[in-house]
Amino acid sequence: MTTHLSRRHFLRSTTAAIALPALDSLGFRRFAAAAPASAPPKRMVFLAFGWGVTAETWYPDAKEPGAGYKLPVGLQPLARHKKDFSIVQGLTNKFSNDGHFGSTFWLTGANRYAKQGQNFANSISADQVAAAQLGQDTRFTSLQLNGGQEVGGEGHGPGLSLAWNANGKPIGGFNDPVETFHRLFSGDRVPLEQQKTLLAERRSVLDTVLDSARDLQRGLSKTDTDKLDEYFEGIRDIEIRLNKDEKWLGVPRTKAPLAEPKPGLAGLEEIRLHYDLLTAALQTDSTRVVTYRLPVNTLLKSLSITINGHDMSHYHLHQGTEKRDASQARDLALSETLAGLFDKLKAVKEADGTRLFDHTTVAFGSNIRTEHDLNNCPTLIAGGGSGLKLGHNIVAPKDTPLCNAWLSMLHGSGVNAERHGDSTGVLKEIMA
Amino acid sequence: MRTPFPILLTSLALGLLWFATAIAAEPPRALIPERHRVLFQEHCVKCHGAEKQKGKFRIDQLPFTIADIETAEKWQKVLNAMNSGEMPPEDEKQPAKAAKADFLDDLAHAMVAARRSLSDQNGATTMRRLNRREYRNTIRELLGVELNVMDLPSDTSTSGFDTVGANLFMSANQFEQYLALGRQALDDAFSIQARTGSSLKVRYETERSLGYFTKRTAEFEDGRERFTRWTTAVKAAANRPENRETVAAFTKGVQNDALLRASWQKITGAPAPEDFGFNLGNGPAGAATPQVILSVAQMAKRLRAVEATGAAPQLPYLKKYLALPGLETGAYLTSLADGPAWNSFFGIEAHQGWPSGDYLIRCRTAATRHATGERRFLELVANVRRGEVISTHEVSATLENPQVIEIPIKLIKGGDPLQRNFMLRERGGDTRKRFDDAIKANGVGPEFALWVDWIEIERVSAREVPPGMKALTGVILDAKASPPAQADVRAAIERFTVAAFRDRTTPASYIDRLLQLYETRLKAGDKHEAALKQTLAVVLASPPFLYLAEPIGKTSRKSLTGNELASRLSYFLWGSPPDAALRELGSTGELLRPEVLQAQTTRLLDDPRSAGFTEPFTQQWLGLDRLDFFQFNRRLFPQFDAATELSARQEMHETIAHVVRQNTPLSDLLKADYVVIDSVLADYYGLEGVTGDEFRKVPVPKDSPRGGLIGMAAIHAMGGNGEYTSPVERGVWVLRKLVNDPPPPAPANVPAIGRLAGQVLDTRQRILAHQDQPQCASCHRKIDPVGFGLENFNAVGQWRTEDTYQVMLGDRPVNGKRKTWTIDPSGALYKGPEFKDYFELRDIIATKSTPFARGFSAALIEYALGRPCGFSDEPLIDEMLKRAGGKKLATREFIHALIDSTAFQTK
Repeated sequence: MTTHLSRRHFLRSTTAAIALPALDSLGFRRFAAAAPASAPPKRMVFLAFGWGVTAETWYPDAKEPGAGYKLPVGLQPLARHKKDFSIVQGLTNKFSNDGHFGSTFWLTGANRYAKQGQNFANSISADQVAAAQLGQDTRFTSLQLNGGQEVGGEGHGPGLSLAWNANGKPIGGFNDPVETFHRLFSGDRVPLEQQKTLLAERRSVLDTVLDSARDLQRGLSKTDTDKLDEYFEGIRDIEIRLNKDEKWLGVPRTKAPLAEPKPGLAGLEEIRLHYDLLTAALQTDSTRVVTYRLPVNTLLKSLSITINGHDMSHYHLHQGTEKRDASQARDLALSETLAGLFDKLKAVKEADGTRLFDHTTVAFGSNIRTEHDLNNCPTLIAGGGSGLKLGHNIVAPKDTPLCNAWLSMLHGSGVNAERHGDSTGVLKEIMA
Repeated sequence: MRTPFPILLTSLALGLLWFATAIAAEPPRALIPERHRVLFQEHCVKCHGAEKQKGKFRIDQLPFTIADIETAEKWQKVLNAMNSGEMPPEDEKQPAKAAKADFLDDLAHAMVAARRSLSDQNGATTMRRLNRREYRNTIRELLGVELNVMDLPSDTSTSGFDTVGANLFMSANQFEQYLALGRQALDDAFSIQARTGSSLKVRYETERSLGYFTKRTAEFEDGRERFTRWTTAVKAAANRPENRETVAAFTKGVQNDALLRASWQKITGAPAPEDFGFNLGNGPAGAATPQVILSVAQMAKRLRAVEATGAAPQLPYLKKYLALPGLETGAYLTSLADGPAWNSFFGIEAHQGWPSGDYLIRCRTAATRHATGERRFLELVANVRRGEVISTHEVSATLENPQVIEIPIKLIKGGDPLQRNFMLRERGGDTRKRFDDAIKANGVGPEFALWVDWIEIERVSAREVPPGMKALTGVILDAKASPPAQADVRAAIERFTVAAFRDRTTPASYIDRLLQLYETRLKAGDKHEAALKQTLAVVLASPPFLYLAEPIGKTSRKSLTGNELASRLSYFLWGSPPDAALRELGSTGELLRPEVLQAQTTRLLDDPRSAGFTEPFTQQWLGLDRLDFFQFNRRLFPQFDAATELSARQEMHETIAHVVRQNTPLSDLLKADYVVIDSVLADYYGLEGVTGDEFRKVPVPKDSPRGGLIGMAAIHAMGGNGEYTSPVERGVWVLRKLVNDPPPPAPANVPAIGRLAGQVLDTRQRILAHQDQPQCASCHRKIDPVGFGLENFNAVGQWRTEDTYQVMLGDRPVNGKRKTWTIDPSGALYKGPEFKDYFELRDIIATKSTPFARGFSAALIEYALGRPCGFSDEPLIDEMLKRAGGKKLATREFIHALIDSTAFQTK
C-alpha cells in the first residue's frame, strides 16, 4: 500500500524523537504479556500537586533522620504504610524561579530561560524517559491523567500534564476519568474486521492532514517550521499509538477491574477514582508509566473550604488561622487518599503472587514547598519497584538536585539513563 | 503639547538605555549600577574571589552587564542566595539594611531586563495556532455554531497573552479533540440548515400556576379548620372533671393548647387527630387509622406536622396573593422557597435538540409599587443546579402597561445539558430569609414586587448562511435522495476547504485524499451526509485551519500579502476570521493601501464583534482572572450580591469598550469625571437618576472617588480576597498596570514572616513588618504606600473610613483581641511625592499618563503580534506614543499606529 509506505517513510525521515518499536519484538511480547511472566514488570507512578504543603506540619524533623523518625501531623494518615515510603528532604530544582509553577519543571529540572530568543523552554520529563523503555510492551506507552479544572489557578504552571516530550514540548493528558476508563477498557465489542477497517481509516485521516501540513510547511521560517513540528509530533504520536493498536488487534482487552465510573466526580472523590483507574491500568498491564496532576481547588471545595489554593498557600501572612487550617486539611486529604492508593497497590497480586506495590515506584510531591518557596521540594517516594530505601526520613544535603532522585528511580527500575535534567548523580542517601 | 517621549522609568537598568539610541543596532544590555561594587568587595569577595571560591562560586569576575544566559544564571544565583538570607552567612558581617535593599532592588530589575533582553525575538512573530477562543469564534463564523470548547486547553496558563505563539502547543490528544469537536460542529451546522425557516420557540404562561395556588390555599384552609375543630374537642375533653388531675399533672398550671394536643392520648375521651382527617400512620388522609404502633419520636414528629398544618404560616400570604390583580393573565414572583410550583422563580427550558446559536429570552413583566431598591430587578439564571446569574434587569412598567424585556443569549453545543435550563427570579434569590423576616414583622409575608405575564425563548435565525455551509450548497440533501455525483462532492469539499482555510488554496492531492475518505465512509455503510461530515471534520483538524501561517519563502523578512494582513487584522480586532468584505479586499490587495487599511480598522472597531478584542484583551491586560480566584463573603457584604458582582466585572469591559468606541483619551482610564455603569452599579455607587440595564456614560460629582480604573469596585475587589483587602496586591497592581513600573516577580524562598499570627495589629503595622528585612523592603517600600492609599475601599470596593481586625481561633473570635481604627491613607511614593489621602494619590497617578500609555502600548503589541514585547520594540512604542500624543492620547490612535507599523505588516 503506497500510503502506508509514505507514512513510514515520513516517520523515519523526520528527526524521530521516539524510535518506532521493533515490530518483531512487539509481536513476541504481545503474547508474552498475556502469559504469566517470570518476573513482574517495573512500574512508575508520578503524582504532583500545586501550591505546596503546610511546611511546618508536613516535613518530619530534619534532626531525626533515619527509620526512627516521628511521623508529622500532615503525614499521619500514612502511618500504616510508614515502613513502605521515604520522605526526602533537601531536594531542589536549581533553575526554578517561578513561584506558581508546581509541576512544569518538577520532573524535568529544566531552565526556563535556557534558550536565547525564547522566554520559555523545557526538556524531557522523567516519566517519559521511563516510558521510552518500560512502555514498549504495553498497549499504552504511558498514561497522563489530569485532575481538577483550570479555573482559578491550580498552581501547576504551564503544561498539558506532568509529561514533557524529548523536545521539551508538553504532552496532553486525559481530564475526564470516564473517558480514560473507556480508553483503557472499552472497544472490544467491535468485530475484528471492523477494527481493521477503522485503523486503516484513521491512518488515511492522518495521511490526509499530513498532506496539508506538508503543503503548509513550504516557505515557512525556521521558527515556524519548529512550531509546525509540534503538529507533526502529535500526528506521529498517534501513528505510534495506531501501530500499537495494530499489534494488539485481536488481543482481547483485559476486563476492567472496576465498574464504569460515574461522571462529574470532583475533588476528593475524583482523586480516589483516578487512583482506582491508575491501579487498574497497572494491574491489567495496559501501561507501566502513569502521571497524575492532582487537583487543588476542587479538592478544597469538596472539603467544604471556599478559600482558593493560591490564597491558602500564603497562610503565613494572613490574619486568623483559617488559611492554615485549610492548608492542613488539604495535606491530610492528600495523605489519606495516597494511603488509599498504597492499600490498593498492596492488595493487587501479580501472577507470581507478589504485590503490585513491590514492583511499582510512586513519587509524590511538588516543585513548590509552600508559598513561593522552591527549595526543599516536598518529596515522598514509595513502593518496591526501584529497590530504594524505604521507611526513612532522608535528609539530603541542602539543594541536592531533585533530578538525582528521578535518576535513582530510573536506575532502580532498570532504565538506563546516564543523567537526567540537572542531575549530578544518583541520590546516594536513598540507594538501599 | 504633551511630550511624546517617556518621562518616568524608575528602573535604572531600563533607564540607562534606550531613549536616545532607540534604533541602536547593538542589543540592549541589563546593567547593575557600578556603585554596588563596594558591597561586593566588603561582603562577598573574601569567600568568592580570587583566593577562595567557596561553593565553587566566584563573584569578583562577574560582569555587571548581563549579556548572556550564563551570566544571567550566575546573577540569579546571587539574587536567590541573598533573598533567602543564605548569603552572606549568618555569622558573617551583614551589609547595612538600606544598602542591601538598594542592591537587591537594582539586581532584581536588572534580571528582569536581562530575561527580557535575552528572550527578545527581535521582531520575529512565531506562527501560531488558533487559541481556544479564536477557535470557537472561527467555528462560529464558518458554520454558525456555538461550540463548547471547555475541554481544550485554555491557553492562558503561561504568563503573557493567549495569542503568544510560542506558548500555543499542539499534542496528539488535542488533534483528536479537534477531530471530535469539528464533527460536533458539523452535526449542529447541518441541523441548523435542516431547520431553516422553521420557528423554534417555547413560551411559558405564568397564570398556569393559579390553579395550584387556589387548590393549595383551599387545602391549607381546610387543614386549619380541621385543626381548630380538633383543638376544641381536645380542650373540651381536658376540661371534663375526670381529667382534671391528669391534665394538671402535665400542664403544671400553664394553659397551653399545644401541650394539650401533644398529650391528647393521656386525656380520656379526647379524639384522635385521625378523626379530623389527619393521618399519623401510613394510610391516606382521612382513612381509618391503620394499626401502626408509633414510637414516641415518630409520634412527636407526626404531631409536629399536624401543628404545622394548623399554624399554616403561608395562609395569610396566599390569601393576599389571591387577592392581587392580574392573576388571570400573569403571576407574581413569590417569596415561598418551596419549589417552582410556588412561583419563587419561573423556569424556561430550551429543547435539548435545538441547534446552538443566538436565542432571545423575552419576558412580559411589570412592577408593583413595592418594587423598590434591589426588589425592582429580575435576574436571569442559567443552570439551575449551579445557579449562574447571567444578567439582571430593571423593571419599571406598571401592571396597566407592562414592558417586554429581551435578553439575548447563546445556546451552546455540547457540555452540561442543564445549561439550557433558565430561570427568572427576583434579584438575589434568597427568598426564604425575606419571607421569614416579613412573617416576624407583619405575620403575613413580604409584599409582592414583580409580576410576569409570560416568559419565552426563541431562536434568532442567522441573517445569512455562514460561508462554510454556503460552500456545501447542492450537496446537502434530503436523507431519502440518492448521493450526489462524485464530481459535485469533490467541488463542494474544495469550496469548503477554501472557506475554512481563509482563502488559502490547497493541493489537489489533499482534496483527492478527502474524497477518498468520503468514499471509504460510504463503503463502510455511512449515509451520504454522515460520510460528508466525517470528511469535513478532517478539514477542521488540518493545519491550514488551525494555524495562522505566513510563509516567507526564501527571504528572511517579507511584507504580508493582502490575505495574511486581512487575517492578522481580524484576529487582532475581532478574535475571529475576516468576513467576506475584508477577505475580498485582502485577495485583491486593496487592503495593502494605507487609506483602505485605516478605513477597515475603523470599520472593524465599530463592529460589535470588536468585543472579541476588547474583552479578552482587557481580561488579560488588567489580570482580571484574579476575580475568579476566590468567593466573596456575602454574609459580610450582602450588597455585593451576584448581580453587583456581575455588573462590577462588566464595568471594566464596558469602560474599555467605551474608550475604544468613542476614541476618548486613554488617560480617562487613570482619572475621569464619568463612569460607564448600569442601574445596578449606580445603586451601588450611590449615583442617582440611572435607570435601565444598558451601560452608559454617567457623570460623577467632583468629590466622588469613582471615575477611572482606580475608582472601580471590581479593581478593589480584585485587590483583596473577598473578605479582607490586600494593600500589597493593590499596590503591585497599580505599579504594574497604571504607572508601568512593575516590581520584579515575587522572589522564591524568602523566609516567611510567621511571628505576626495572633497579634492585634492594624493593617499598616502588619504589612510594614515586611520592610524589616532588606530583601522584602527592596520591593515593598514601593508597593505598600500605594496600597495604604487605597485602604478607604473595602474588600468589595465600597468606601469606608474605619477598619477592624479581630483575632480568630478557627472560626471563633477571640475575646478581647479586637481592634478598630480610623484608616490613615496618607503616605508618599518611594522617592516621590507625598499624598494625604486617596484623592491626592489618584491625582499623582493621573500625572503618569505617559508611562501608562507605554504599558498599554506594550500590551497591545504583545497581544496583536503574538510575541513578547522586547527591547527591540521600544521604537515602535515611541512611535505609537508620538502619534497618539499628537491627538491627546486618543485610544484608537494607538491601534492605528500599531497596525500601520512595519512590525504589524511584515513577517
